[in-house]
Amino acid sequence: MARLVLKFEAMVLKEVPIGGRPVSIGRAPDNDIPIDNLAVSNYHARVYTEAERLVVEDLNSLNGTFVNDMRIERATVRDGDAILIGKHHILVDTTRDAALPLDPGRKIAAPKVDETMVLDTRERRDMLQQAVAVGERSQLAPERTRVPSLVVLRGRTDQKDYRLSSKLTVIGKSAMATVRLRGWFAPQVAAQISKREDGYYLGRGDRVPKINGEPITSLTRLNDGDLIEVGGVRLNFLYRD
Amino acid sequence: MRVEIGARSDVGRVRNNNEDSFRVVAALNLFVLSDGMGGEAGGEVASALAVESVAAHILEAANNVSAPSFGARQPDLTEKSNRLASAVRLANRKIHEASRDDPAHRGMGATVLAAWLDGQRLSLVHVGDSRAYLLRSGALEQLTSDHSLVAEQVRRGILTPQQADSSTMQSVLIRALGAHEDVEVDADEHILLDGDALLLCSDGLTRMVTDPEIASTLLTHSDAQAAADRLVELSNEYGGEDNVTVVVLRIALDSDGWLSRLRRWSRGPGRPPGEASQAGGH
Repeated sequence: MARLVLKFEAMVLKEVPIGGRPVSIGRAPDNDIPIDNLAVSNYHARVYTEAERLVVEDLNSLNGTFVNDMRIERATVRDGDAILIGKHHILVDTTRDAALPLDPGRKIAAPKVDETMVLDTRERRDMLQQAVAVGERSQLAPERTRVPSLVVLRGRTDQKDYRLSSKLTVIGKSAMATVRLRGWFAPQVAAQISKREDGYYLGRGDRVPKINGEPITSLTRLNDGDLIEVGGVRLNFLYRD
Repeated sequence: MRVEIGARSDVGRVRNNNEDSFRVVAALNLFVLSDGMGGEAGGEVASALAVESVAAHILEAANNVSAPSFGARQPDLTEKSNRLASAVRLANRKIHEASRDDPAHRGMGATVLAAWLDGQRLSLVHVGDSRAYLLRSGALEQLTSDHSLVAEQVRRGILTPQQADSSTMQSVLIRALGAHEDVEVDADEHILLDGDALLLCSDGLTRMVTDPEIASTLLTHSDAQAAADRLVELSNEYGGEDNVTVVVLRIALDSDGWLSRLRRWSRGPGRPPGEASQAGGH
């Protein structure tokens, strides 16, 4: 059975066998090969077997899928081909039977640990292996250095333009709001935006905001260019240089 | 705004001593929880030291805004969140020094989770694998991310959440109070809304009770103390393998501005149909 080997630079992060089901690749954690990098779309690409050939298909990703450095929408791949997604390479290996997925948690083969313990720096480094370093380095995607901002397209606010610099940005009439809404019927807390490690998330306030016309059902990650509507205002979320 | 508080700590069904500590300072709307570790009495000492020194530092700062702060100020956080992070760094230093100076306490450590309300604005600070959850409109969301090896492996895509749940390495923390002279503290802020329930808990709860069970317990027990009691009971019914500590906060906003009075008046004396059916249910 063929397998896919996820690599960052020289380091192997994960190996996934290709079985009957397509292998999904993307930034969302429910992918078979999740890649925590802002250059990677939530559901970026998939690899599957079709008529005994391996096929890689780009799922309309923002930054594209490359096979041996050529951007593709859909392509057959064979042993030794390299699929490039963001800064990560995925090598196609059909030479041997699929190895068990790499799983450093088991490889350490420690006896059952009942008592809580804390790793010291060296142990932590060893146990997390290079994956941590790789993850931290690979997060230096270009989007990170750009300034997240809100531009007011419609509605009454105290400014026309806001730079998001806090962990929490409140949209509303309240004194603690950064985006201060004006008008008698404006809600105190219309919505809130939280900064997290991997981006900015919109959450509800006294109102349920809409992103690109769709009401949110839970904390939702904002993408560059998203339109937010809440409490009588329309805002554009942008990463600016 | 009214905050209804429920809190309970229990030794569980397996262990002989309770190494968890918590502190509720209702006057400040400050809630601190800690899960200690380390042989002999170390765990109890460390968690007690953690909640005590966090609460003391916040009390001191409440009386004296120019009280010295510990560690670098984070410009993207409010003064209160920075103060809370400072309190946690101070607690770390105290536990570290106590474990270094007293051979009986060598190697002790603790998690810490502290929530401080400034009106609707919640400052949430933590180190370790004690968790905060928010129940809002029926949906449960975990607000903190564990500083554990398995959680880190899930974040890096090395383990799936399912593999993490069955891992034998769940007790391995990558950050805790006391391990080093300095500690990296996670701090976050949220606006709480009317009807929200906030749960703070030690891993004794989350190892035994699933998220959907936590959600339904919070949904079916409108009394904060009853919810806290039931969560501890559930954890013990499922084996009670570890000490368990929970703090439940229920938020109710009294909207008594003239506008909401006007809105209530304009709705008339009858109850909206939604409320009537809720009250009749169960």
